[in-house]
Amino acid sequence: MARPHIEPFCDRDVHFKNMVLPGFASGFSYKMLSFDDETGACSMTVQYEGGYKQKPGFAWSELEMIIIEGEMKVGDQVCRKGHYFFVPAGYAMPEISTEQGCLVLMMYNTGEPSHEESTEHHPLAQVDLYHSVDSYMDIPWAVGNVAKPSVASGCLIKLLNYNPISHAMTFLYCMTPNFYQDNISYHDCAEESYHLWGTSWMMQFGDIPTGGYFWRPAYINHGAFASEYGCIALGRTDSKLFNHFHYNPWTNPVENQERSGARLLKRDPLLYKWAVSKDHNHPHGPEDFEDTMQRRGNEEGHDNEHKSDGHRHDHWHGHSHHDEDSPHCHSHHHDHDHDHGEGHHHHSHHHGDGDHSHSHD
Amino acid sequence: MTFKNLFIEHDRSKEVEEWIKEESAEQELRYTKIAQQMDDLAPIREKWYQEFFDRISTAGFNEDGDLKIPVKPEDLPVKPEGLKDQVIWKYGVDGE
Repeated sequence: MARPHIEPFCDRDVHFKNMVLPGFASGFSYKMLSFDDETGACSMTVQYEGGYKQKPGFAWSELEMIIIEGEMKVGDQVCRKGHYFFVPAGYAMPEISTEQGCLVLMMYNTGEPSHEESTEHHPLAQVDLYHSVDSYMDIPWAVGNVAKPSVASGCLIKLLNYNPISHAMTFLYCMTPNFYQDNISYHDCAEESYHLWGTSWMMQFGDIPTGGYFWRPAYINHGAFASEYGCIALGRTDSKLFNHFHYNPWTNPVENQERSGARLLKRDPLLYKWAVSKDHNHPHGPEDFEDTMQRRGNEEGHDNEHKSDGHRHDHWHGHSHHDEDSPHCHSHHHDHDHDHGEGHHHHSHHHGDGDHSHSHD
Repeated sequence: MTFKNLFIEHDRSKEVEEWIKEESAEQELRYTKIAQQMDDLAPIREKWYQEFFDRISTAGFNEDGDLKIPVKPEDLPVKPEGLKDQVIWKYGVDGE
């Protein structure tokens, strides 16, 4: 049943185990941080021994990795401490090797760890989603107010991955020395964190040191927060992060969830009432028309006559703004709002000075 | 987890099933140990709660970012009688 609440846990307190699953070369050992007993999805601290080589191939699961210590070579690219990878399921990575060994945080999001040798991506792989970045060197720290209400200043983030549908996020965060935030928080999503360096404190769980970790299901109280000397960590949420702040340490997850519902009712009463009404008790949730609407597919049988190159705005007048004799041709100097005379006021072109010949190219 | 919901269906070998079973058992031990450690922390946590109440009723409660609003002492919560302080919830709202 999914992953249980693991908080706090420190990987320094346990030994590495050799990976015995098929597909992994020897020299791959791991410490399990959290584990989904249904899907096999998990987060692990992984030690690649010096000289480790993994042949090109893919995993059946989506995978995220960040190098904690050391260097590894991915194909021809040398990747160092702080390098982050988002690897879609079925995406064939090139050979991975390390001369001196390295420590990596590996998160298999949707299934057990696996490695299928292949130089080709799986046909179902969403290859465009692959990305990797040196998160230490190539992304600046930003203020941590990605959610409102927000964390106190002194908690900064670097966004590494974002799911535009679920709003799930992967990010680095740091707390500056002497950071503190005096509130208790819970979220409507699960949250995970691994301390790459440094110690932070939470009122419920005490200190989380370097190598410290948590996997926290939704609606569980955490905070107040502090860090005496600062810390840097990798954090993740599995859906939209909203900070429900309060100051009652004795509430339980059910009460917190109910409060979330009460706050939704206050904030979005129409949506709330619709969602809880019994008239449309869909077993799989409400329908999103964007998921189900009929789409064009191929071009056969559709309007090709008025096909645009993507830059033209004929507005179905039967003439183009680019035609010299068109009343809407913009190759003259003026300031204007133009009305198409069809009850719609489509563009407002407020120009400053200079040549205003208006090409939409 | 929802993340990007990317997963490619495949057959699991007996080896993999066995590994999942072993890791599940180890995780149960890990969870039980943490829950015990957090129960043991309860006395010092009571002190941390009191310090927290002192801070938010004087310096203020972080309502949003650095905006701090002092909480009136009479508005501070009271611990429900007989309630055991619990901070680990195995599957959150999905049951203990």
